[in-house]
Amino acid sequence: MKKNLKKTLSVGLAAVMALSLAACGGGSSDAPATTTAAAGSEAAGGGASEAKPEAAASGDVKTIKLFHRFPDDPCNAFIERKLAEYEAAHPDIKFEVTSAQNQPYKEKIKVVVGSDECPDIFFSFCGEFSERFIREGLLMDLTPYLEADPEWKASLMETQMNEYTTADGMVYGIPFRLDAKEFFYNVDIFNELGLEAPETWDEFMAVLEAIKASGMDPIAEGNQDKWPGAHYLGALNEQCVPDDVRAKDYDPKTGEFTDPGYVEAFKYYQQLVPYMNMGVNGMTHDMARLGFTQGQNAILFAELVEITNIKQENPDLNWGMFKFPVIPGAKGNPDLVSGAPEGFAVSSKTAYPDECVEFLKWFLGAETGAEQAAEVGWFNASLGVDEGLTDPSLISAYEVIANAKKMDIWFDNALYSTVCDEYLTQISDITNGDVTPEDAMAKIQKVAAEAQNLAQ
Amino acid sequence: MSTEKYILRARILKVLLHMFLLLLVAIILFPVCWLVLNSLKTNQEMFLNSLALPKKWMFENYVTAWNKGLVSYFVNSIIVGALSIGVILALSAMMAYGLTRFNLPGSGFLFILVLGGMALSEQVALVPLYKILQAVKLYNTRAALVLPYVAFRIPFTMFLMRSYFISIPKELEEAAIVDGCKSWQRFTKIILPISKPVLASCAIVNLNHVWNEFLFANVFLENKKLMTIPLGLMTFQGDLKSDYVVMLSGILICSLPMVILFLCMSKQFVRGLTSGAVKG
Amino acid sequence: MKKRTNLTPYLYIIPGLVMVLGLVYIPVIVNLIYSFFRLSSYSSSMKFVAFDNYRRLFTSDTFPIMIRNNIYYCVISLIVQVGFGTFLALLLESKLAGERFKTICRNIYFIPSLVSLTAVGLMFNFIYNPQLGMLNTLLKNIGMANLQQTWLGDKNLAIFCIIAMSQWQFTGYITLLMVVAFQNVSTDYVEAAIIDGAGPVKRALSIILPLAKEQLLVCTIITVIGAFKLFTEVYSTTVGGPGNSSQVLGLFLYQNAFLHDDMGMAAATGVLIFVITVTASIFQLKISRSGEV
Repeated sequence: MKKNLKKTLSVGLAAVMALSLAACGGGSSDAPATTTAAAGSEAAGGGASEAKPEAAASGDVKTIKLFHRFPDDPCNAFIERKLAEYEAAHPDIKFEVTSAQNQPYKEKIKVVVGSDECPDIFFSFCGEFSERFIREGLLMDLTPYLEADPEWKASLMETQMNEYTTADGMVYGIPFRLDAKEFFYNVDIFNELGLEAPETWDEFMAVLEAIKASGMDPIAEGNQDKWPGAHYLGALNEQCVPDDVRAKDYDPKTGEFTDPGYVEAFKYYQQLVPYMNMGVNGMTHDMARLGFTQGQNAILFAELVEITNIKQENPDLNWGMFKFPVIPGAKGNPDLVSGAPEGFAVSSKTAYPDECVEFLKWFLGAETGAEQAAEVGWFNASLGVDEGLTDPSLISAYEVIANAKKMDIWFDNALYSTVCDEYLTQISDITNGDVTPEDAMAKIQKVAAEAQNLAQ
Repeated sequence: MSTEKYILRARILKVLLHMFLLLLVAIILFPVCWLVLNSLKTNQEMFLNSLALPKKWMFENYVTAWNKGLVSYFVNSIIVGALSIGVILALSAMMAYGLTRFNLPGSGFLFILVLGGMALSEQVALVPLYKILQAVKLYNTRAALVLPYVAFRIPFTMFLMRSYFISIPKELEEAAIVDGCKSWQRFTKIILPISKPVLASCAIVNLNHVWNEFLFANVFLENKKLMTIPLGLMTFQGDLKSDYVVMLSGILICSLPMVILFLCMSKQFVRGLTSGAVKG
Repeated sequence: MKKRTNLTPYLYIIPGLVMVLGLVYIPVIVNLIYSFFRLSSYSSSMKFVAFDNYRRLFTSDTFPIMIRNNIYYCVISLIVQVGFGTFLALLLESKLAGERFKTICRNIYFIPSLVSLTAVGLMFNFIYNPQLGMLNTLLKNIGMANLQQTWLGDKNLAIFCIIAMSQWQFTGYITLLMVVAFQNVSTDYVEAAIIDGAGPVKRALSIILPLAKEQLLVCTIITVIGAFKLFTEVYSTTVGGPGNSSQVLGLFLYQNAFLHDDMGMAAATGVLIFVITVTASIFQLKISRSGEV
């Protein structure tokens, strides 16, 4: 005890001395805060942090930093293995990988992307999420690379690449996984009650009523994290609000949200709420999904990428899918498929642009994609990744996307962050019945008006 | 009042007091037991009935949790914790010594100035600290945690040590002065050894803080390899898939070290605080 | 007996002082400056906007909700943690129970405060879960299913669920601090009071508590400051939901800084937290002084 204490103290004191000396030396600087912290780095850095051997590494090895948001297995293991394979085939390339869960990722990426710590390749949602980085010139334009390699360009699914293209034609990302939202239903329960997958809103309501009458909460839904509700509203807005109006409103510089269709969409959502399980706002989406996979609820509004999880949670579950029911006479576009590819972008600051693109060609190409589809159950945007598939559920999932004429990106990624926050808040309150659709839209309009200034 | 009645009343009070204290123990421990129970089930079992006993005791949940990177979170927490505690104790002890032993002009002002740091919360400094750390390229290093931890913990630690040092009789040092000891020697040879109880208490108080700190760690670190335990625990919570039972196992594993350390040292801990705390 | 001016003593003070000034005080001042600008984390541009951040903060719909929630947290924590915690400490110092039993109880009460806030937050997410949570399952099993709640998903309950969690975690902490303070009260005073015929209640109120006043003050200040920098508890449970009902200043600051890239707004919120906590601390010090006479 005594010895340890002494040791600790002497180490500490040494650091202190170095620190105070350094601090005194730099005392005349006009930025005192910076000086102090810099001095600290010399003192504590020596013992605390391993120095980053960036430039120190031998000139031959190129270190590519990669940041993704798939820290869970099987995907994480798949990525790790693929990177190792690539390193083995390219001795001059070395990867430095970081990953984070969705929410922390969204916070972290904004912090690192503008700094010197910026990863060379990183996950980035398409739409406003990436476009704000483009406004700051932080993402690399991939268009020239695609133009230079027509074969590569032709191998990628056009509907999906459109989502990673700006209005002025700049391609800024390549999809890693394709995704769309569908209703999943328990086929056994439907058969038992003599029900069929609904196609229109009225049929849907009749189905829900019949299930409810049998004593079951029809829809499994957990909105504690607030984004699951946004996916309902995204799909409903597609149907209730004309495309051009939405495009204008989703752009932070012109967003107003005054179209009556938005209120209508909220009203349709309100019709669904009584058919959801208890405590929607008190549960996360994946916990609610357990209700569906354990047979306590008959319907789940979920992403195609969740098929992997559904199978894991209950391999015996007999389930099917149906598209978001069509609302007859609504002014929007019923052909849209709600969902978006999720992919990787390259930093405009990278020292190795060619190497990064070369890697992405392979990593997000058909060969790797086919393995990914079989192993993880996720598809990338390369044509033909579905060829070796035998699993009928994955084949039908792939068809949903392959047959989509036009995708409509995730609602929560389409909006400017403050507007999105307000929208999510209002959806949460509507779910609890704490606010009327009209009042909710009024609040969103207020924030949207403010965002017009902020986004300039 | 007759003695008999008095004894009876005392006895009833005694029973009531015991029952009350035990009730509180139950309130503290019941949720913990519930969590332990569920950490030994499968996700499905937990979902269907969280109060039932598991069909099969899933001890492998703990193994899974441990293999999810807990080792590295532990190592990081230990490194950051040890460095922070070392520097906090050293700087605070020196400062408390300087303020109490020399009758310095302005020492009262300096004391209040440093103590005032206690009223400043981490959030208020969050944005500038983040900008500063980025500017000096410390963002995403362990130093980005250690330096702010030290700065924010010095005031309280210095406060605890100061009151302890004041209570040390001056005569102890006077003999050493006669022997020609420099102040540094007096500090390390006399004051520090005698202050072990308060040093230990301060170490535990600060370790608990540093070990569990989330805000700075969350903002100043990005590299998974540097993450401390509180951050690591949050990564158990996925968006599309959380493994609840494994998360519970992880929570329990991560919480154990501090609890065990405290239970082992609770006597010294209380003693150090008793002798150091402000006397009535 | 004046010695010649010697700089050595200052060497003991300077390192710590530099840290505190450099990494606590200066950031707080810089934060004040930032609050008059619009700035984001990934672009270097800084635009002077005078009081616009403050205007937006004070006129935001969330503002009254945050202030209300922070005050709820503060008041309830003062009553439960400081008030009840002190009462509990008195009970633990009474002579009615055995030393060993009391020590064990005291240690058990203290344990939750050793667990990290994120761990406790994640734990209580389960305890409050409407489907599988401990509370609802218990209520169902004892035949009170009609009392089941959505807890964290209910606008009117969410913040109180979070507050309750904090009381569970930190009451034992204050209790231990107060036990320590009571042990420091010299037994002479207490024995003198017993000889004077003072009953246990009177002893507690007129001798022990006044003598432990400073510790009580420290606990009160810690609790009040803690209430206004509340963050992790909310971040690891509701993240402000449902709706905005459990939003608090600390989380609002964080979200503006790192989710909305509105660091100026975050800085303005920081200044508000600063003003509240410092005012509250000074106010409490004043009160305690005036009582001293």
